Amino acid sequence: MAEKKEKKPLDLNRRQMPKQPPEVRKYNFNEVAFGYPEDVAVEEAKRCIMCKKARCVQNCPVEIDIPAFIQAVADRNFAEGIRIIKQKNCLPAICGRVCPQEDQCEKTCTLVKKEGQLAIGRLERFLADWEARQGHVEMPDIPEWTGKNVAVVGGGPAGLTVAGDLILRGHRVTIFEALHRLGGVLVYGIPEFRLPKEIVNREVEYLKRLGVEVHTDFVVGKTRTIDSLLEEYDAIFVGSGAGLPWFMNIPGENLNGVYSANEYLTRLNLMKGYLFPTYHTPIKAHRRVAVIGGGNVAMDCARSALRLGAESRIIYRRSREELPARFEEVENAEEEGVIFDFLTLPLRYIGDENGWVKEMVIQKMELGEPDDSGRRRPVPIEGSEETWPVDAVVCAIGNSPNPLIGTTTPGLKLGKKGNIEADEETGMTSREKIWAGGDIVTGAATVILAMGAGRKAANSIHDYLMGGNGHGNGADDGSGANTASDANAGADQNTT
Amino acid sequence: MHFDSLVDALEFAIEKEEEAEQFYTELAEKMERPHMARIFENFAEEERGHRRMIKDVIMGRPSFVPQPRVADLQVSDHLMDVAPSPDMDYQQALIFAMKAEKAAYALYTQLSEASEDSAMRDLFHLLAQEEAKHKRRFEIEYDEQFSGEN
Ligand SMILES: Cc1cc2nc3c(=O)[nH]c(=O)nc-3n(C[C@H](O)[C@H](O)[C@H](O)COP(=O)(O)OP(=O)(O)OC[C@H]3O[C@@H](n4cnc5c(N)ncnc54)[C@H](O)[C@@H]3O)c2cc1C
Repeated sequence: MAEKKEKKPLDLNRRQMPKQPPEVRKYNFNEVAFGYPEDVAVEEAKRCIMCKKARCVQNCPVEIDIPAFIQAVADRNFAEGIRIIKQKNCLPAICGRVCPQEDQCEKTCTLVKKEGQLAIGRLERFLADWEARQGHVEMPDIPEWTGKNVAVVGGGPAGLTVAGDLILRGHRVTIFEALHRLGGVLVYGIPEFRLPKEIVNREVEYLKRLGVEVHTDFVVGKTRTIDSLLEEYDAIFVGSGAGLPWFMNIPGENLNGVYSANEYLTRLNLMKGYLFPTYHTPIKAHRRVAVIGGGNVAMDCARSALRLGAESRIIYRRSREELPARFEEVENAEEEGVIFDFLTLPLRYIGDENGWVKEMVIQKMELGEPDDSGRRRPVPIEGSEETWPVDAVVCAIGNSPNPLIGTTTPGLKLGKKGNIEADEETGMTSREKIWAGGDIVTGAATVILAMGAGRKAANSIHDYLMGGNGHGNGADDGSGANTASDANAGADQNTT
Repeated sequence: MHFDSLVDALEFAIEKEEEAEQFYTELAEKMERPHMARIFENFAEEERGHRRMIKDVIMGRPSFVPQPRVADLQVSDHLMDVAPSPDMDYQQALIFAMKAEKAAYALYTQLSEASEDSAMRDLFHLLAQEEAKHKRRFEIEYDEQFSGEN
């Protein structure tokens, strides 16, 4: 009779990641979390029970072989661990920090039932940071030029992924970016205390060293149209994101001191406001800041306002359970002292004699009866209006794609909100030679989804350029994504 | 406003729906962006559906049954008016439509309350509820499309 295998006792103690204490970090813009020390990472990895049917992988948008990289950490074979991740994800230092793992891989971890789900995201970050500390980047060989030129519009995660994948397949790639720096939301949106700019710069520098050409301050649709670029390029990928902010359309939104989240965060991030007080902040010093909305963007704004010395509050129309922001970021915001006003709706803003916002009128809400979909929607409570003093309002309720490319490219099929319609598997649009992916297609979503879309589009573009119909899986090498990303294994390293 | 007969009242209602349909169709034609034109064409189609329903009543085939009061989410109450323009976007179109449906609801409610004839009162009440349902559909769409993070 076969000997019964001894069962390892379950370790449900999810290891904590050291962080700056709230009373310290609320006064600086340095990264909040420090990352796992090596021994803690290994302990955490050893908790994995190595399920036969790895449901974590099924719930990862780019299907990283999670058990394999976790095993490598447990074996202290970190080089192997990062190699495995990079087969599917070339920006792990970024995704390990900002991916909503609690809704993806960690949500379907078998240990979640006992509230001890493995910290997959933190281990991903650990490996990426470990690799960066090694300080050596292996530059891959670039194949001979195929004779094809590709233009990438937008230097966010979608565009960067396409550029990285295609240059490694021998095509010439040029990125056209409207701002003066590459990185998209990673540099102008997500604040330094969640994603240090240095990490994004590393990725961008690596791409440049691979030979990707970059034109910044170049607004496609204005400087040159897509059709004019098509005279020179064999294929175009549009990854221009969703940078058009929504306002609520209530009175007073045009007062001074009422910002969109985009404007507020861009001022901070691109104009070095996060180096306050070394750099003078490009935002007026406000005492009472109200941030409207409950998503990640709202949390970032509220926590930034706090760090600039303001009393900072989140005004959210629904209840805490419905907050769309990552739970971890809500907790961080609460610890730091952001005030949360749930079931509260701004009705209008009132200005002073100089046109600066000085008050906001709000109304309290309650959750109504469940509707056909079972959802309880907030309805106003009669007579609950109140007037609150504020000297700045940041509207963080969402974004749409900027209409510029859609309106200057005839024949490009658009969806209701002005998003470009593209095939989910290939990124092909209604126009030949034009692909699209990321937030410009889905509306505001996530970094990993934008990267995933970029990867699929790169495969399709490569197939097309090599004489296929865009539906193959990389016409000449047949190996699809993995070839490019294998070679891309140095992308997250320090380029010393 | 006074109607001599139920049929008069229904014809008035049909005219209102026709006006709305025509308004949305014209707006669709004016849009600079094809996807916005499609949106207004859909709005017009919805109004056509209403008109068909009222015609059914005239033909003795009432297709709507008494409805409980439709909850008002009041999504558009505090939003500023939007003037229709060729470069409107989806958010503005929805605000415009919510407000238009609210106005139609108010009109039918007023007519219902002012009717002495009970059949007419019931009919306008039904039409008001139809408009309220219509408005609620736009409110939910607005809520989901433009207030997900709010
Ligand atoms: C404040 C904030 C916090 C977020 N937090 C998270 C998070 O924690 N986790 C997560 O997964 N996601 C988060 N997101 C969402 C995530 O950042 C986006 O989904 C992702 O960046 C989309 O990538 P993209 O490449 O499609 O577009 P973007 O990152 O928006 O990049 C598009 C680029 O195109 C450029 N561009 C636009 N128009 C033109 C033009 N006409 N010509 C040339 N260039 C153009 C833009 O300047 C920009 O650089 C957050 C977003 C924001 C705003």
